[in-house]
Amino acid sequence: MLVKLPKIFGRGGKATAERLRVRLARFRELVQKNDRVLTLMAEAGEMLGGEYLFDRVFLRDFADELRDTVEGVIQDLSEVSGERYPDLLRALAEVDDAVRAAMELRPPVPDAPAILPMETMGLEHADAAGEKMARLGEIRNRLGLPVPGGFVVSTRACWDFLQRAGVTDAVRALDTGREGAPERDAPDTEELRRRILESELPPELARSIRREVRRMVEMDEHVLFAVRSSAAGEDSDLIAAGQFTTRLGVLPDQVPTAYKEVVASLFTPEALAYQEQHGVPPGQGMMAVGCLVMVPARSSGVVYSLDPLRPDREVQLVAASWGLGTVVVEGKAPVDRFALKRTPERTVLFRRVAEKSHRCVPAPGGGVVEEALPEEMRTAPSMNDAELRAVSEAACRIERYMKCAQDVEWVLDSLGRVAILQARPLRIQPSLAPAGRALRQELERYEVLMRGKGEVACRGIASGIVRVVADLDSLPPGGTGELVLVAPSASPRLGSRLSQASAVITDVGNATGHFAAVAREARIPTIVDTGIATSLLEEGQEVTVDAEENVVYRGRVEELLHYQLMRSASFEDAPEFRALRRMLRRIVPLHLHDPQDRTFAPDRCRTYHDLIRFAHEKAVASLTKMEWVRPSSDVEYVRRLLLPIPLDLVLVDLGGGVDAPAEERRVGLEAVQCRPLLPLLEVLCGEGGWETSPADMDLNGFMSSATRALPLTTPLASRPEQNLALISREYLHLSLRLGYHFNVVDTYLTDGANDNYIYFRFLGGVTEIVRRSRRATLLRRILERFGFVVEGRGDLVIGRTRGLTAEHMVERMRMLGRLIGYTRQLDIHLRDDQRIDEYLERFLEGDGNLSGA
Amino acid sequence: MRSPYQVLVLDDEEVVCERLKAHLEKKGCEVEAFTESQTAIDRMAKKSFDVVITDVKMEGPSGLDVLHFVRRENPATQVIVITGYGSIESIREAEYGGAFEFINKPFTSKAIEALTLKAAKKARKQGAGGKR
Repeated sequence: MLVKLPKIFGRGGKATAERLRVRLARFRELVQKNDRVLTLMAEAGEMLGGEYLFDRVFLRDFADELRDTVEGVIQDLSEVSGERYPDLLRALAEVDDAVRAAMELRPPVPDAPAILPMETMGLEHADAAGEKMARLGEIRNRLGLPVPGGFVVSTRACWDFLQRAGVTDAVRALDTGREGAPERDAPDTEELRRRILESELPPELARSIRREVRRMVEMDEHVLFAVRSSAAGEDSDLIAAGQFTTRLGVLPDQVPTAYKEVVASLFTPEALAYQEQHGVPPGQGMMAVGCLVMVPARSSGVVYSLDPLRPDREVQLVAASWGLGTVVVEGKAPVDRFALKRTPERTVLFRRVAEKSHRCVPAPGGGVVEEALPEEMRTAPSMNDAELRAVSEAACRIERYMKCAQDVEWVLDSLGRVAILQARPLRIQPSLAPAGRALRQELERYEVLMRGKGEVACRGIASGIVRVVADLDSLPPGGTGELVLVAPSASPRLGSRLSQASAVITDVGNATGHFAAVAREARIPTIVDTGIATSLLEEGQEVTVDAEENVVYRGRVEELLHYQLMRSASFEDAPEFRALRRMLRRIVPLHLHDPQDRTFAPDRCRTYHDLIRFAHEKAVASLTKMEWVRPSSDVEYVRRLLLPIPLDLVLVDLGGGVDAPAEERRVGLEAVQCRPLLPLLEVLCGEGGWETSPADMDLNGFMSSATRALPLTTPLASRPEQNLALISREYLHLSLRLGYHFNVVDTYLTDGANDNYIYFRFLGGVTEIVRRSRRATLLRRILERFGFVVEGRGDLVIGRTRGLTAEHMVERMRMLGRLIGYTRQLDIHLRDDQRIDEYLERFLEGDGNLSGA
Repeated sequence: MRSPYQVLVLDDEEVVCERLKAHLEKKGCEVEAFTESQTAIDRMAKKSFDVVITDVKMEGPSGLDVLHFVRRENPATQVIVITGYGSIESIREAEYGGAFEFINKPFTSKAIEALTLKAAKKARKQGAGGKR
């Protein structure tokens, strides 16, 4: 039987087929590389959970492999599409540079804006804003504790300023002299300071500072500022930075000058000696400066979340006095001292009210001044029990989050409300920490409820009350993180409940999945995939979760909780973890969403994830645009799928997707070998999958669909989309146009959970806009129920999931088959918002038949 | 009740030393950590360890040199060699040099703990351990 090739191919049908084969093979390689990158990203994310020991060499190899693989993807794209993408290669080089820079264990001055507002500050800004301010920002924005507003002048801005002042050479010279050089010549540094104080700030920086200050003044015309240095680098806590790097009581106009003074004071002989002692390049470690609004302090003080000399006693220590905290921190005058028990009741064990003589207050012209206390205040306690407990509560929350004991500076305003000014790890004598062996013996006393099941997604130790979360909607919001959430699966929806949790344990899940990443961000000890947690652990039980050894104990194991607190810092703060986090920030976040949007472009690619997303999408688009891709095609690799439903589907076989003789242009389902496609089609073609009864249309909806012209914004106007499946044995890229709906399913289904993923996209629609958005809402909720991470705006719905086992993947593909059938006529039925819930329930119950509603 | 396992950790990266030390101490071992191989070798001349964990890549005496030193001076001591991301050469040499086992970075704390305890048990059986 002669195979006739359509005329469009012109001469050399065989050559064309060969070229096609090459393109398809390249596409297949692109898909594999794409998946490799996604897997690498997920595995690296998993390493942030603390289970793995890795070092700089690993980070370098990781960066190398990523770069090489993404470059391969771009090259594959060129082969598949026949186009060059110089912009992509440029973007690749930029991302690679950024990743290498991020990898430095002691990062150089990062490219950051000059001003960083406290409203968006977090630990991820530690390089630019310094540890102190970054941590405060985290406490403010992640923990929601009261922290004064303000802004940080970044390390970058400081370096630019020093350059303008012409002192950067002198600063660098201080460094080279370090090896063995005993002293700084006093004249050098004095000159340095003088030049800093006398130089003008760069105009842009001065403007930015004034603008921020003005913003604060608008909120309170009497505002005063505290201008404090904020050290960058992991040893910043060693650089406790004495009082010479702080200016208090700064009037708005004085902020720029105070800034210069703080920067200059970093170069005093004492400061330099201190830095040298702690192995920090002079000036490098301390170049961010925080400008925070000063809280009018009625009282201030310090709280230690553990007694550093007797950490075994479950006690918190508080020192307080009237006015600003300098009195307490300097430790020169008598102050009130309290001790509280670390239990939830926070029993006050001890109150020693001192004879206080002075307090520190803002001075009228700026700065601070000491004034004598009025008689009645001298022997009055500077805080009451309620305030003590509030301070203690705050310290506990910070401690739990940071996973180590804390030294916290706080202030009480005129109404007795707490605000946090600073928090850092509390140094406990190592000799006082319980020895490993002793700990093991202590632990033998406790009953083990579960051991060694599943895998640790985020290390840590926490205790709490078990809450078995079969249905997330039944869990009321609120609470302060005392619950151990035990859930059937690591659904992304759990992520929104993490503020209530001290730990999370799931029956099903993957340490490389999305929820695991969210748990690590929140630093919540998490164990996934245990298989039996929901049946083994009882509602209301108090347990201690050791997500290091992977053991769950009955009751509260003080020794373990202590053990964690006494470490000088959590593993999350170790240099290599920070480096990996920094790197991943330039690798993982996705900025490209809607392929139809003009922002889906090479110049918008800021991460490796963006690059592969773009490349993948473009590769698919170029393949599906090709002329030979149509049902009547006679080209090898292209077939038409015969289905029992009225759906025209073109199959492009990348290799292993179809088992049928090469000359057969039409095949049935039984020839399909593509693992993800089969379950989807089986359900779509099965009972109730493709709606067979007449649609129950109401007149409005029908009129709207019949007369609506295709808006030019839909993708359908640009080119006629085929119903098309690009398939191999494990891979599927399915694009389906059903009526005016446009579905895309892109998935990889193997026996290795780590490599598996599903990407589902839905756009378009019949009927008017309100119903279209109802449908989008319904789709999002269905996808969320099935553990997809959902995004999208308006009509566009995108769902993603990864890390599922083959079995679960098949379940999801079946669900998608049902979903695609279900949505075909859904708009017509979605008459009002209340019906969304109804249709959600019907879908979940397996009822795909919409008529009879 | 046996005396705690004595472990020496050698890696040029401080962070690795700290982390390993923390993990193993939690398991009840007594750990000494070094970032310089010569210093570690000097120490091993004075004290007999149950287990030596060394990175294969070290400046000065290499990890393999350390391995050979230990096998020569104190054959009961077991040596675990840490190899990097896929360096087949070093694995072969480690095996040939008489290492107890090699382990590839990155590894889980569980993995190194299990390996160390296994190695230590063998060392004790062969008569190592305890301070000299």
